[in-house]
Amino acid sequence: MPTDTRRISGPEISHSPYDYCLTPPIDLIGADKKRLDGRLPAQLRPLFLRAGVISQARGSGYIEVDQTKVICAVYGPREVLRREDFSLKGQLTCDFKFTTFSCRLRRQHQQDNQEKDLSVQLLEALEPAVCLQKYPKSQINIYVTVLQNDGSALSAAIICASLALASAGIEMYDLVLASSVAMRDALTIVDPTEREEEAVLNKTHKAELNAGSMTVAFLPSINQVSAISSDGEILCETLTKSMRLCVENCLKLYPVLQQALVKHRLDKQADTS
Amino acid sequence: MATSRICVPGQRLNRADDKHIGGKGTYSRNGFIYSSVLGYWEERPTNDNTEILISVHTGETQTVIPSIDDIVTARVTNVNPRFCKCEILSVGTTPLCDVYRGLVRKEDVRATEKDRVEMYRCFRPGDIIIARVLSLGDAQSYILGTAENELGVAIGMSEAGVSMVPVSWCKMQCPKTLNEEFRKVAKVRPEYIQTVHQG
Repeated sequence: MPTDTRRISGPEISHSPYDYCLTPPIDLIGADKKRLDGRLPAQLRPLFLRAGVISQARGSGYIEVDQTKVICAVYGPREVLRREDFSLKGQLTCDFKFTTFSCRLRRQHQQDNQEKDLSVQLLEALEPAVCLQKYPKSQINIYVTVLQNDGSALSAAIICASLALASAGIEMYDLVLASSVAMRDALTIVDPTEREEEAVLNKTHKAELNAGSMTVAFLPSINQVSAISSDGEILCETLTKSMRLCVENCLKLYPVLQQALVKHRLDKQADTS
Repeated sequence: MATSRICVPGQRLNRADDKHIGGKGTYSRNGFIYSSVLGYWEERPTNDNTEILISVHTGETQTVIPSIDDIVTARVTNVNPRFCKCEILSVGTTPLCDVYRGLVRKEDVRATEKDRVEMYRCFRPGDIIIARVLSLGDAQSYILGTAENELGVAIGMSEAGVSMVPVSWCKMQCPKTLNEEFRKVAKVRPEYIQTVHQG
């Protein structure tokens, strides 16, 4: 693992307290047909969205899905500084970062492999929605920071980034929405928390054929899916079924995103007048 | 006529028929006009009153980037015998939020006697020039040209550090030392001066 020599690290030998506690296999759903946090399997978590939270950035957004908190800043369009091939299309760059304290296990300051992977997934989800040909020779930078991760961080990041892009005045074909599900056997739960995500992917206690999670990014007005990512081992029919479920859930979030943008525009209007 | 409604990217605004055309902040797909930015929906008849122009106004924040044939204002940063480098500060009257690099090549400085141009007698670092974007150039910078009467140095600093007064199309005079220095002087249009003063 790469270490950062410029920062003072902790003691040389240390153990995570989680090493000493047993994580018993958790049941995704209790006897009362409810999940650990009291939700029904098909119930989404409450959502909070706000645009224009970072004054220095061109556009920004903040999303809170219960305990998952993500903030996003958009800069640009600005000049491409690195020497690269000439392109008449604009470039989109995404930077996905978990803060060190955001997850159950402490994260490093440097971007690790998972974060790089998530950056690419975020880019793939957003790129089809941005009119890049309107920004020749320019780049648009998106910085996503997860302040607290309680599951479905990628879908929260996609919604937040799309909110930030729209508030930055970047020309887009459509807004991007995202939703995730977790599956185990015949059970499908929407908007999983971190514990549920972990329980699904943790295969030590039981060899399952059908366990995993999935995130779908969706363009509601164009009615197209812009990105799918799935983890774990999932049967094909379950995959198609849960994709449809994700798209349905995305459409449920659409008015929330629209309202957040309209409110942002009205607030800006009120500020100037 | 002007309706004041907020629309979000991807919102369907109208059918794209022979009566309605999409303007700024919109795009059309499958015979419909959609909004591409967050802003206010505006419908306005075109000048000849035959069509309705649908556009979306973002308000005060405008994302401009230089495109071909735009008049830009730039600051000269570096001069050498072949070209001069500059940073583009604004496009038309809209200031850019971030500078873009531009380049004026020796042959694009003026329209006549192109081969007798001496870069040091046309631009100096620190000058504010008005130029036209000739091409998007390479990955590095935009190619600018000043081969018009209205284009060239608008504000030039003398060696004494005073803003100079133009005396001819190729000379400027320092009001303090009365020294004359060579520049490719722009014949700045009066209406343009107006906007500069207001800004």
